[in-house]
Formats: sequence, structure tokens, C-alpha cells
Amino acid sequence: MSDVYVVGIGMTKFGKHPDRTVVDLGSEAVREAIRDAEVDPRRIEAAYCGHVFQGMVAGQRVLAQTGLAGIPLTNVEDACSSGAVAIREAALAIRAGEHDVVLAFGMEHLTGRFRGALTPAEDDLEAAVGLTMPAIYAMRARRHMEEFGTTRRQLALVSVKNKRNALDHPAAQVAAAVTVEEVLASEVVAWPVHRLMVSPVSDGAAAIVLAAEEVAKRLTDRPVWVEGIGWALDTSYWGNRDLAYPRYVEDAARMAYRMAGISEPRRQIHVVEPYDPFAYKELHHLEGLLLAERGKAPEDLARGRFDRDGELPSCPSGGLLGVGNPIAAAGLMKICELYWQLRGEAGKRQVANSPRRGLAQAWGDLMQIGTVVVLGV
Amino acid sequence: MVEVTETGRSGVVPVHPDVFAGELEGEPQLVGSRCRQCGARFFPRRGVCARCLSAEVEVVPLGRVGTLHTYTVVYQSTPEFPTPYILAYVDLPEGVRLLAPLAGVPVDQVRIGMPLRLQVEPLRTDAAGRTVLGYRLYAHGGGA
Repeated sequence: MSDVYVVGIGMTKFGKHPDRTVVDLGSEAVREAIRDAEVDPRRIEAAYCGHVFQGMVAGQRVLAQTGLAGIPLTNVEDACSSGAVAIREAALAIRAGEHDVVLAFGMEHLTGRFRGALTPAEDDLEAAVGLTMPAIYAMRARRHMEEFGTTRRQLALVSVKNKRNALDHPAAQVAAAVTVEEVLASEVVAWPVHRLMVSPVSDGAAAIVLAAEEVAKRLTDRPVWVEGIGWALDTSYWGNRDLAYPRYVEDAARMAYRMAGISEPRRQIHVVEPYDPFAYKELHHLEGLLLAERGKAPEDLARGRFDRDGELPSCPSGGLLGVGNPIAAAGLMKICELYWQLRGEAGKRQVANSPRRGLAQAWGDLMQIGTVVVLGV
Repeated sequence: MVEVTETGRSGVVPVHPDVFAGELEGEPQLVGSRCRQCGARFFPRRGVCARCLSAEVEVVPLGRVGTLHTYTVVYQSTPEFPTPYILAYVDLPEGVRLLAPLAGVPVDQVRIGMPLRLQVEPLRTDAAGRTVLGYRLYAHGGGA
């Protein structure tokens, strides 16, 4: 069984791309990742494509466009976790000894499809009584406020931090220097969620090339090791679920920590990219990842622990709140950020604590899909 | 119990096919499921127990009084839902939690833990002019 390494990454700008197709975006990210890996494209033996709304054989169309046809391509759909699950599948194929070099990519063209917030499926009972996506996070955040005294100002601080971090990201869609007051002055979508606490609808793509140890060490002297991967699914039945705590994230994290040999995540993880489609979710996920004490993530945030120069930088990329949210590509964007951070190549976004190990997390849907990837150098 | 999914004659449709039993023209009963093997209860009803996987699941009526678990005030929604409106999760004594609009309580008087009562009633008229029958939550007793 071979260890798995990331040897190259690529991503497009996230944003509104009315003049480009998803195949165009996907192809750009794939070509960039292959160029970055300095690997002969003919060495790529298999590919996994995450996407949610791009239709039949979307991944195959990208391979055809990039001249990579002739290898197995699997489309992966797990809502917002789609990109991260594509990485898991790619890594499993290498660990199983089936392939040496595998491509994983995620892509989405959403601005042509959705004008406002995404809505739950039409046959969903809760949608039929008026549930919207932001309302879900609003009710979870409200529960956290009740149990732990979390404030709206603390939720707003997540947006302030991530949008500020994104100012240094060349691919960012909604980077901004905003204050807590400005976030709280933006219109209320579903109380306590304001517009500036919600990630945008985005088009974009990201790709990574994974390789088995032998190949990776020939390609680069600075490969990034995929130390652990976890993937878990919670129930969609609310009655037995704790709305203030993401059990599915803890399950996925424990799986990844076990694989990576991590026993004290708060000491052993140095940089983290938790999933932040809504401001509250970053705090919720940091607690589920066991990187903050339960109920304490808002306080940690307020005292700067998650800033780029803090003890545990969180979303140094700018996250989905700052860089954007092309669903399946968003989780891969987080992997790209860890790759840059761990190699010391993040430029103005480089965190101050010389990280040796980082964690990226994606999360999906009402069924609560948790995906965790631990990378190290 | 008769399971109702639609009724063409009266122009009344349920908000979802899985939530009522009884005649929609009369007083339909809000129902969930109970597993005969392990006793777990669910809403909406389902054919297989999510806890023990038994298919021995029966349709049971739900209680009408519970407590508010969490809520939000929705300001942006799809056109069939005029805003703003309050949505709340209510915990029923059977151990199920369900989502419903909360009516008749001013926003500043909504409190987590307050007692709420479920009432089956029309929610809106659909595009075909039919009455959509659903349920809303109201304050119960001296809760608000």
C-alpha cells in the first residue's frame, strides 16, 4: 500500500463567468494542475470529477477538452463535499495500488442557474413549509447562541476575517475590508444570518494531481503528504440530532486523525481550512473538528486565535465567504490553500507559524456529509 | 388508519403526502412512525426504522403540544412564502422534532423552551387554486 502525495494544484478565478462554460473552467484548472505538477499528462492513469449541477458526463467532457481521454473518469456527487470526496476516491485508488498518478478536480458553473440562494429539493417536506438554506444555518446558529451565549457580533467576525484574508487571494470573488458593524448592517436573510455572512453563488474550478510515493519523490522534492482522510454521514432526522454540534464532522475528523496518527489535534494541526459557506458554520466546524473546545470557538475567534498570525490560522485563503463558493470546487480550493501554506508558497497569505500539518474540511447537504483531509510535509 | 395523499374533489391537497392520516375534508391527524421493534419514533413517517432497520413500522398520531427547540425569522424566501415569517423546530413529547411556521407570537416574545401547540390548518393556495393543508405552531397556555 502506497502513501499518497499531492504533487500539483490548479484553480481558476472564482466569480461570475457568464462567457465561459463549466468545461472551459474545468479544463483550465486541470491544465494548470498538470503544469504545476510538471508531470507528463500521459502518466495520469485515472480521474475523479466532483460536481453537483453540471449534468451528465461533465467530467468526461473536460478530459476530452484537455486531451486526457482514454483513462477512467468517475463523476462524484456529494453536494458541497463533492470535490473532497473526489480526492478521497483518487487517494483510495493510489493506496489500493491500482494507479500511480491520479487527477481529482471539482467544478461548477452556477451563476447561470441560480439567481438567489440555492433552495432545498422541491419534494422536501421542510421546503414545503417554508425552509430556505440560510434558515437552516440560522436555526443552528440560534441554538448555539442559546447554549453557549454566542453573539451576532461573533458570527459577523468570521465574515470580517475571511473577507479580509481574501483580499490577498488572486482568485477571490468577494474579498473586502468590512467591519462587524457593516456585516450587521447588511440585510437580514434569516435572523441572525445577514447577507454578508453568506457565501456567494460562484463559477469556478480547482484540480489537484495525486501520486504514489515513488512517483511523487521523482516529481518534486517538496511533495505534500495526504496523511489522513475521513468521510462520514449523519442522519437527516432532526429529532435525534444535536443542532448545536456537528457530530458528522467529529466522526470524519476522528477517522482522518486515526489514519494520520494524530492524538492531540489542537497541538498537531497548525493551519485549518474549515468549511464556511455561512459565517456560523466555520465556528460550528472548528468545534466538530476538535480544534476548539465545545462552545468556545466564538471566543477563540474574538481573541485572534484564528487570525493568520494567530495560534491556529483558520481560512487563511479567505474561505468560501471571501474567495467564493462554486460548490464542488470550493473544497478543492481549500486543499490548494493548504498545499501553498505547507510549502511556504502562499505569498501575502502565508501564515506566521511555519505549519507542518494542515486540515481541510468540506461539508454537504441536509444529510450532513462531513469530509476531512489532513495534509502534511 | 387511512393514509391520505390527495383529494381531487374538494380541491384540498396536503403540504406533503407523508404527513396526514384521515380525511382532508374532515380533521386529518398529523402522523409519524413508530418502530414496533425498538420503539423509535420518526417524523415524517417512514417505512424502515432508521435506528434498528426493522420494517415493522406503524403509523401513529403525533401529540399536539411541545417545546420550541430553535427558530429563525425568514426575510428572504421564494414567492409563495410572504416574508417575514418565523420558522421553528418544536420538540414533541414522543421524541420527534418537526419544522413549522410559528404564528401569533411577536418576534421579540419568541423564546427557546416556550410551550407550543400544533394546529392543522390551510397554509396557502397553490398555483392550481387548491388549498394546501399543513400545520402551524402557536403559543400554548401562558407561554407567550
